[in-house]
Amino acid sequence: MRAHGSVKEPEARPADHLCWVHDDDESFDMAVRAFLAGGLARGERLLCVGERAIATLDGAGEDLGDVPGLLADGALGTMTVVEAYAVAGPLVAERQRAFYATETARALADGYSGLRVVAELSELAADSGQHAELVRWEHVADELLASGAGMTAMCAYRSDLPPATLGDVLAVHPLAHGPGHVTPYRLFFDADRVVLTGSVDTSTAGRLATALAGTPTGRSAVLDLGGLEFVDVAGCRALAGWAIALRDRGVPLEIRGASALVQRIWRILGFSDIAPVTFADARG
Amino acid sequence: MSTRGSSATAPTAFTHEVLLYRDDATFLAGLLPFLHEGLAFDEEVVVAEPPDRQELLRTALGPAAAAVRWLDVTELGRNPGRLIDACTTLLAEATAAGRRLRGVGESAWPGRHDAEYAECRLHELLLGTAFADGPPWRLLCPYDQVRLPRDVRTGALLSHPLVATPTGGRPSTSFSPDAAAADFGTPLPPPHEGVLRGTYGPEDLRPTRRTVASFARSCGLSVERSEALELAAAELATNSVRHGGGSGSLAMWRTDDAAVVEFSDRGQLTEPLAGRRPPGAERSGGWGLYLVNQLCDLVQVRSGSWGTTVRVTTWR
Repeated sequence: MRAHGSVKEPEARPADHLCWVHDDDESFDMAVRAFLAGGLARGERLLCVGERAIATLDGAGEDLGDVPGLLADGALGTMTVVEAYAVAGPLVAERQRAFYATETARALADGYSGLRVVAELSELAADSGQHAELVRWEHVADELLASGAGMTAMCAYRSDLPPATLGDVLAVHPLAHGPGHVTPYRLFFDADRVVLTGSVDTSTAGRLATALAGTPTGRSAVLDLGGLEFVDVAGCRALAGWAIALRDRGVPLEIRGASALVQRIWRILGFSDIAPVTFADARG
Repeated sequence: MSTRGSSATAPTAFTHEVLLYRDDATFLAGLLPFLHEGLAFDEEVVVAEPPDRQELLRTALGPAAAAVRWLDVTELGRNPGRLIDACTTLLAEATAAGRRLRGVGESAWPGRHDAEYAECRLHELLLGTAFADGPPWRLLCPYDQVRLPRDVRTGALLSHPLVATPTGGRPSTSFSPDAAAADFGTPLPPPHEGVLRGTYGPEDLRPTRRTVASFARSCGLSVERSEALELAAAELATNSVRHGGGSGSLAMWRTDDAAVVEFSDRGQLTEPLAGRRPPGAERSGGWGLYLVNQLCDLVQVRSGSWGTTVRVTTWR
């Protein structure tokens, strides 16, 4: 299974998707530099998105070496949020995905082992007009990262964002450094399946339903509940709502690794009739 | 044969009779004509009895037993709060097949706990309301006059409008249609045991269910039963927060044979049938209590102007 859970260090392996909540400038600078240095050591092309992430490059010589040289020969790039808009247009998850897929392919074609992105997007998260699409993009991005395209990412957010906002973004990252209590569950991709871990109850079921509604799928979908510790009626309703939406699109859903209790709840709540899914044992 | 009796005995409404028996002979004498009549009318005949009583009836019925649907009431009625739902399903299936339903149900079999008898009585009292408007059907409930406690025997006459006699049902003089509301509105007896208590608010759903889960494990309940109780805790605490004034109190205790958790709040539940029937697939609310009834051994709901209490008992 892909790396998931809480992390202390800004270390990432290829395909990792790390959410980094930061509250003090010095430790944030160190975290970004360490994350980028890890990519440099792996031969990845580096990209800093957002003014606050770019600012960490001042004084990054100790970790990254010749920063101006890296910038000059294309091993390191920067994009302000305004520049990101200029190249990919206003924030739309699919356009962002296409942009990063192309950039990752270009990095590989240029002889790098992949693309490592650090993005500081607190201003988008705090913008009520952009917030929902940002969360959807983070979730879509995770699918791109999990696909093994060659991209690795650290998404940084300020800790003074409202807890619900932080919870929304943290919940769609497999790896997180931040306050655990704002997101009791995680929804992420592992190869061809969607994985839900942790616990979902009435206070977070709405968030989960929103995230699932934006989950990219192919012609079939697999949801892995092997790491789900707890789910209540509201959480099961969120899962059933997604199953119904998928059925309406002609996409069959397999639920893997669901506990005996979850399968019982599914029957008792009458979801077997309105939200048909295939329950399968956990694998892999 | 069917023309002889159908007009005379076909009910126009739900009929609910108690059969008071003293031994195997009076048990069979009371039930066999009822069953034979149903089979003769080609009704859907369902018998929910403990296994030993089923065996007695099967033997007495002979080949006719094959036309009867046999259910183990010690499974089906383990939690009496599930029985109205089970009856609703049986009635819907029979009606869909174009047949009348005729049932025998001994939910108050001898040897149950006092708390279970209290719920059997409330269940029996609520049946009339639950099936007042649906297709007519007949239910006969055997009560053991020798082995059941006295208050259960007298309660059976209070909870059933009709008493079965060899010549047909006669009205029960002590039947009390108001007893359902009275039972439902009366607080449960307090526990004799030492009680762990706590309170919860909107921010405490997670710690509350975890507290209940660890209590369940400490009582020696299996992983699956502890998980079911944790889910019950989440749903009942959520109900308090949503509908019970925003907060509630939790009490937990263990008896010689059970782990008991109880959720109380200041809200009032006006529908005694709440949680006994599914709220309808399109409804998002009301599923919590229904699910708790389906998953747990015994669920006792009481509500009045004084508040609402849901006591969940899990046998160890």
